[in-house]
Amino acid sequence: MNPDFLLGIASVAGVSMIIAAVRAIFVRDLLSAIILVGFVSLTASVLFFLMDAPDVAITEASIGAGISTVIFLWGRSKVREE
Amino acid sequence: MSNTFSLILLVLLGAGFAMAFIRLVIARTAGDRAVALDGATLISVDLMVLMAFLMGRSMLLDVVLVYALLSFLGVLAIARYLEGGL
Repeated sequence: MNPDFLLGIASVAGVSMIIAAVRAIFVRDLLSAIILVGFVSLTASVLFFLMDAPDVAITEASIGAGISTVIFLWGRSKVREE
Repeated sequence: MSNTFSLILLVLLGAGFAMAFIRLVIARTAGDRAVALDGATLISVDLMVLMAFLMGRSMLLDVVLVYALLSFLGVLAIARYLEGGL
């Protein structure tokens, strides 16, 4: 595979990861922050995939997309509204 | 596969990913963000399948399988939360 393709995909994933992380800090409501953190874990999984680490990418996908989103939403519904 | 065909596919998938990402960042409500996250996840699943095909390694398809199943679970949890069930 051409290395220019890999460099382009990695740069797009990295830049969108940084922008989504900064937006997750400054966003108003907590549900949008949870969704943006899910997007950050998505791009992290793509970057691990590009770095030839499939086991780390599987772990990141199962923890980031599956477990942490559900646990954050569950905790968000338990916390009372301020 | 020829080189130009894979380049066209990568450019189209990158354009779709960029549009979903822009909608994710500048959305008004949380429901818009959930739909944009679902779209970005599906497009990145396609992108990872294409990369596994271009690298010629079928072991990388397991990552895509796990990610497609678990991202569906995440979007399902967000939709359940928006309806007040979770």
